[in-house]
Amino acid sequence: MSSSPRKRPASSAIVAGGAVILLIAIVAIVFLSGAGRALYPPAPATAQAVRTSELYDIVFAIAVAVFLAVEGLIVWSILRYRRRPEDTELPPQTHGNNFVEVLWTLIPTAIVLVLFGLSWNTLNVVDATTNDPDVRIHVIAGQFQWQFEYLDAKGNHVATQTKPIGDGGGMAVPVGKKVQVTLTSGDVIHAWYVPRFLFKRDVIPGQTNKFEFTVNADEAGQVFHGQCAELCGTGHRVMLFSVTAMTQADYDAWLQNLVAIENATPPPAPSGAPVLKEEAKNISYVNGNLQAPANAPFVIEFTNSDPSGVTHDIDVKDASGAVVENQDTIPGGTKKDYTYQPLAAGTYTFFCSIHSNMTGTLTVQ
Amino acid sequence: MTAEAHAMTATAHAEPHAAAAGHSRGISNPILGMILFITSEVMFFSGLFAAYFATRAANQPWPPAAFKHILDPLGPIMLATILLITSSFTCQFAVWSIRKGDRKGYIRNISITFVLGIIFLIMQVYDYSLLFGEGMTLGSGPFGTTYFTLTGFHGAHVFGGVLMLGVVLYRGMAGQFSAKHHDAVEAVSLYWHFVDVVWILLFSILYLIP
Amino acid sequence: MATHALSPAVPAYRGGIYEWLTTTDHKKIGIMYVINSFVFFLIGGIFALLVRTELAQPGIQIFTNEHVYNESFSIHATVMIFLFIIPMLAGLGTYIVPLQIGAPDMAFPRINALSFWMLPLGGILLLAGFLTPGGAAAAGWTSYPPLTERGPLASPGPGQDLWIVALILIGTSSILGGINFLVTIFKMRAPGMTLFRMPIMVWTVLVTSVLVVMATPVITSALVMLFIDRNYGGSFFNFQTGGIPVLYQNVFWFYSHPAVYVMVLPAMGVISEVLPVFSRKPLFGYKAFIFATAGIGALGFSVWAHHMFTTGAVFLPFFALMTFMIAVPTGVKMFNWIFTMFRGQLTFSTPLIFAIGFLTMFLIGGINGAFSAAVPVDFALHDTYWVVAHLHYVLFGGSAFGVFAGIYYWFPKMTGRMLDETLGKVHFVLMFVGFNLTFFPMHMLGLAGMPRRIADYAGDAGWNDWNLVATIGGFIIGVSMLPFIWNVLVSLRGGKIAGDDPWEGNTLEWATSSPPPPYNFDRLPDIRSERPLFDQRHGLLSGGHGGGDHDDPAHDDAPKAIPAGGAAS
Repeated sequence: MSSSPRKRPASSAIVAGGAVILLIAIVAIVFLSGAGRALYPPAPATAQAVRTSELYDIVFAIAVAVFLAVEGLIVWSILRYRRRPEDTELPPQTHGNNFVEVLWTLIPTAIVLVLFGLSWNTLNVVDATTNDPDVRIHVIAGQFQWQFEYLDAKGNHVATQTKPIGDGGGMAVPVGKKVQVTLTSGDVIHAWYVPRFLFKRDVIPGQTNKFEFTVNADEAGQVFHGQCAELCGTGHRVMLFSVTAMTQADYDAWLQNLVAIENATPPPAPSGAPVLKEEAKNISYVNGNLQAPANAPFVIEFTNSDPSGVTHDIDVKDASGAVVENQDTIPGGTKKDYTYQPLAAGTYTFFCSIHSNMTGTLTVQ
Repeated sequence: MTAEAHAMTATAHAEPHAAAAGHSRGISNPILGMILFITSEVMFFSGLFAAYFATRAANQPWPPAAFKHILDPLGPIMLATILLITSSFTCQFAVWSIRKGDRKGYIRNISITFVLGIIFLIMQVYDYSLLFGEGMTLGSGPFGTTYFTLTGFHGAHVFGGVLMLGVVLYRGMAGQFSAKHHDAVEAVSLYWHFVDVVWILLFSILYLIP
Repeated sequence: MATHALSPAVPAYRGGIYEWLTTTDHKKIGIMYVINSFVFFLIGGIFALLVRTELAQPGIQIFTNEHVYNESFSIHATVMIFLFIIPMLAGLGTYIVPLQIGAPDMAFPRINALSFWMLPLGGILLLAGFLTPGGAAAAGWTSYPPLTERGPLASPGPGQDLWIVALILIGTSSILGGINFLVTIFKMRAPGMTLFRMPIMVWTVLVTSVLVVMATPVITSALVMLFIDRNYGGSFFNFQTGGIPVLYQNVFWFYSHPAVYVMVLPAMGVISEVLPVFSRKPLFGYKAFIFATAGIGALGFSVWAHHMFTTGAVFLPFFALMTFMIAVPTGVKMFNWIFTMFRGQLTFSTPLIFAIGFLTMFLIGGINGAFSAAVPVDFALHDTYWVVAHLHYVLFGGSAFGVFAGIYYWFPKMTGRMLDETLGKVHFVLMFVGFNLTFFPMHMLGLAGMPRRIADYAGDAGWNDWNLVATIGGFIIGVSMLPFIWNVLVSLRGGKIAGDDPWEGNTLEWATSSPPPPYNFDRLPDIRSERPLFDQRHGLLSGGHGGGDHDDPAHDDAPKAIPAGGAAS
């Protein structure tokens, strides 16, 4: 029997072709109008991120082409080959075609091999580490706070940034310099993620991960948002940090200041002030109930018994929720005497600024 | 036509299909099922073995000095190993017996296998009690964890195998097996060989690899 | 048996609750699988809507206790993967595979019943976590240690243990089901049903079952190790005593990546049944499709570490290459499907519409997967909402659309009644629109840096608009279930009588009554190709007792001989 396809009305070809063109037009308009910007990553801020971004552009261009070609074929097929009332005969019973099948096996293979080659090439830049970085930073992640320990060329301790992000914390790096980061965790898995660096790396307990980046010179003064990207518990979302890009001079001054803060001898506690004791363990206060005299300064001798990555402090808020005392956090395994200003009689809540579920009652009378 | 009538007329028709489908060529359904089940068990032990090698590579020296003396391959563990390997042979003798229709030989051999399995389990329990006495438990670091997990899961499989052997022994004594109908015996024997092979691997990697 | 319409006039499953509870009939068990999975789909959906409500705008909306938020997304994913998609497809397979190969039942009917009943039990154990102190599992469906180790800083409560036990139970159910499928397919085929005459659905279930039998025991071992760590002081993943946290990820993904194919291959099988029937053409490249399916199954075992690119503990080039390569057989299938429709005669019944939904959406899920295969790009996108978008385009845009295509396609066979076409199309439009509104914006959110699994975000992060759109879309998906449920309830009582073969199907399930009798077939047509009913309908069987059934007026317009052209393969 004849296999010539029955004549189909031209109208369906026009509809189907129109729909395919419409699809292409919509995609074109999205990108020409700039709305397609949302489908690109943010502007890359490091030399490595620039390479990743270039790779993204290539992958994205191929993706859009494949998307249009295949969706176009689907749209064409479903609009062109609708069954009509007069379609009583079967359509040609095509079981296959070796030529096109080989074609659509080989072409995708070629595409993915090219993509693999390109991404491997980029990977060798993005993932490269050296022995002579300009800046060494040891990042310690703990529930739910980041600490940044600055090291010298030999890996010795220089100073540690322990402040949380809302308190002037975060890391600072000089622009145009090779920064090497080593990541460690003392509790669970975290991930160091800065969207504008187009980069993240897991922080895995018992394993030291290392990577390098160089912030572009024109980014000096920028503050980059960073965040934990691996679920690490109830406070996962508050485990934020920032990376401030500085000129070398600003950075040197910043680091000097950090060293000065660390080496400063704490002001002596007011003599005769009562000393209360509190300990943090397993992310809760052991005591939880403190009494202090009204209208007189007092001291809390605070011990943090959690793993070193986990930082705590004892801040105080009054009945209205207003914070009346704000202390610095200390890492696990350390001690500090906090001095508090005189408070009026009443009931206060003391809390950890890192762990929202850590609270206790401070009775001032 | 009503559904009832439908059901009645159809039974006769369905039989030939069921028969044709059920008794097609090759191995029987229970034996194929057992082979696939053993495949999944192999993958389960592969997961545990992979964990063992990864843990071992990350914790040197291995075994830790405190527990080094328990891994003497020439101790009672060698006897247990020989017993288990022997039981694999007796199990196969039982299969050959029943294939020939020799029910007596079958019962004799499967009984020996059954008893050897139980002796192996008793020796394992005794071994565990000695180790517990020395303070080695699942919680004694990576060595204790992997040792007890691997041998414990193997022991659990031996226990399961002994139960199956008990069932085919009982059924054999009740005269349920013949030269033609003994799929359960074949399946249980495959399982028992698998348990045996796992032990040989386990013995090799725990006791022999330096 | 002179009647050509085998179906009773008023089809109904007789027998009370007791019969259903004790049945070993694969059809009843299959239907129970489907119903059970759908119930868990609704439960998982409610958790998803809670999560979306929380994220609709910055600030804490409903989860004043953020731990409950973590429980919600963890249970959402666990339920959707282990209690909806996998068992739903297993259920469709349980119902349809014996019918499609002309068998009276599964090889092990009682084990089949056991496999099913482990599922609701596992589901109840999982959800029982909410009643325990400390709540349900809250460490994500991946449950990475050390966060899932016992400890005040990790997961102290019994909810995590219940999660482990539930998953071991569900996994065992899967393994037993997989063995059952394999023995059924290898041993129970009707005379003439050679391997290369089996319907694609059967082939995909076959490959899926191999994956299940080989991969599921490995996650069982991971779960057992985690359980030992948590309850007996084990040191597998506890870094403080010499364990290796990343070890869990390796073992977990060794299962969970093949599991992705467990979740999508049978849906591809459904599509491959639906498209030829509603295009009136055979599947384009039947054998190539089978080899592609097997290829995906084999490659699926060598790509697990692409979930771990950012751990710094895997060999990146190998896993990147394998991940890219798996796109090839997937692409082959996509073209096979499109060329099945190409130059066909398409009837836009609801099953075909859902199948087209699968094609268009799964394509996006495949393409955005290529981004994550490019390792440096994955460094940027991993664990952000991009990945959430990707996996939903695969598992919802792919699997769930495939599941609904299958339900609309086989509902007439299961119940003897047709589903309403109009309600079906309303369902599709709502689901399609809602799905894209929910998940497409997640690409933008992920690129803009929004990590997954966070309960709240800063109002100035630029994520507000897309999150609101996604939440609106989520509720549209929720609403789309209403016409579907209504459709099923109404059609069960008053739907059009389906007859044996309402779609002019190709495969054996349409050769028996709707619903089929307990033993499935009175007689079988000759099986000379992968489309025995097509051959019978169009008189392509020379002689034999199967040919010549052309007194059905619905088929009178069909040609008596097949046009010969184009049969190139």
